[in-house]
Amino acid sequence: MNCITLKDVSYKYPYTEDFVLANINYQFEKGKFYGIIGPNGSGKTTFCNLLRGMIPHFFHGDLSGDVLIEGQDVRDWNSDLLSTKIGYIFQNPFTQISGIKETVFEEIALGLENLGVEKEELIERVVEVVKLLKLEKLIKKNPNNLSGGQKQRVAFASIIAMNSDILVIDEPTSQLDPESTDEIFKIINLLKEQGKTIFLVEHKIDLIAEYADEVIVLNQGQIARSGLTADVLSDLSLLQMGVTLPQATLLSYDLQKIDKAIDTISITKSQVKDQIMKRVGV
Amino acid sequence: MDYQFVDSFRKPQVQHNWFLDLNPLSKLNIIIILAIIPILSHSWQVSVAVITFYFVLAVASNRLKQFSKVYVRLALLIGSLLFIMRAMFIPGEDTLMKIGFITITQEGVDHGARFASLVVAICGALVFYSVATQARDLMLALEKKGVPHTATYVILSSLQSIIDLGRMSKIIMESQKARGIETEGKAMNRIKAFFPILGPLFLGAISNSEEKAIAMDARAFYAPEKNTHLRELRPVPMSEKLILVIVNLAFIAFIVWRVIG
Repeated sequence: MNCITLKDVSYKYPYTEDFVLANINYQFEKGKFYGIIGPNGSGKTTFCNLLRGMIPHFFHGDLSGDVLIEGQDVRDWNSDLLSTKIGYIFQNPFTQISGIKETVFEEIALGLENLGVEKEELIERVVEVVKLLKLEKLIKKNPNNLSGGQKQRVAFASIIAMNSDILVIDEPTSQLDPESTDEIFKIINLLKEQGKTIFLVEHKIDLIAEYADEVIVLNQGQIARSGLTADVLSDLSLLQMGVTLPQATLLSYDLQKIDKAIDTISITKSQVKDQIMKRVGV
Repeated sequence: MDYQFVDSFRKPQVQHNWFLDLNPLSKLNIIIILAIIPILSHSWQVSVAVITFYFVLAVASNRLKQFSKVYVRLALLIGSLLFIMRAMFIPGEDTLMKIGFITITQEGVDHGARFASLVVAICGALVFYSVATQARDLMLALEKKGVPHTATYVILSSLQSIIDLGRMSKIIMESQKARGIETEGKAMNRIKAFFPILGPLFLGAISNSEEKAIAMDARAFYAPEKNTHLRELRPVPMSEKLILVIVNLAFIAFIVWRVIG
């Protein structure tokens, strides 16, 4: 079942000449994890704004084509309801903190307060999310005084606490160390397993290869490639667009050059490892 | 996980102090009356009595240090400035002293003392209220009285913006310093270094406010549901209601006495 459908969608921001997104067509299915990649300036954040309904409700500009969210045109959606339906975590962690709460615990609870969740349930949900994101040591701290990485994790926690069906996540790990990044990806995968639809913009391509069901490659505002993750991320032509391929893919191609050392191109470390083990007979 | 902290949200937030635990609107009621009394009395002695009362309240509410730290400086600065200006320039018949073209009169001194003590007393109300009440508690109390949460958000986030702007200006000044621009030393150097940062500082703040609006939208800030609150204020006890009635009646009696008297 489709959750979001884009039909011939083009968009340009107010007072600008060029379209940031052009002729976008895609059907996104419920419960899938979509990785969105592309070089800088390819329109990834604008694409997120479109999926979240910020375009046209917040960013007016010139939108053509149809954006259907659960079958209903985005223009007909009440923007207040969209905020409860689609969770949005965006790039900059510094502006995602409300600035009005004095502890991380209260900050995470803010979205739930706005949704009118009763206090006992609210506390339980915040505790659950705090444990999930391992924020126990931060709950009493003032969110305004946290580091970039900590703010990013708190912002992430604040949105997932709201339990939206669809999550649009724009570079959630830009401020995080590798260990925290892995944890965030595991949580995103867990959310997918719970049946949520995930749209994730991320430059860490190895992790996209690991977790995404499908990948959309944006280039100059258009969908340059799309489809199953294994198919898209094994396409060497992406390198010409400035898109990095997973290390496993590059290694696979290198190994294939050596007397066909492996049979197929793999996109994850574990797949390559399996192929090598098979080849050496272990 | 600090479950004691988590459990603290399950009951009203109290500080175990009779004055601090008053409802923020009750405190506001009392403080406004204290600020108005010197205005109506036209007497510096009443102003001084009210100022003294702030100190008594500060001791009683265990806020003397925080209150004195801000108030004494503010009172000295504003009070002395207003007193000197009034004393020097208010004309009168009873001359006390002449310094060049300035004539200090008894009337000027009296007026200066009255006006300075009045302003200092009013400032005391503001300062004392700010140290005895957390802004978030006041906003919560206002929301409970029907003020829209968008309005309380604007107030709270404006207060935070002042802190953020200060923090950001420090960062910009530090980066200017790292580029070799002189930001310390003579006043002129400081001014020269400070003014150019105002542009990027305020433009940055405007740009951030757009993202902040999106962030709040992402937190369902405009959702049609009725808000709930994690923090809870203590229900107003009967004794507090009684105190307020007495204070307000006494204030009305004072006004009547001033009008008739």
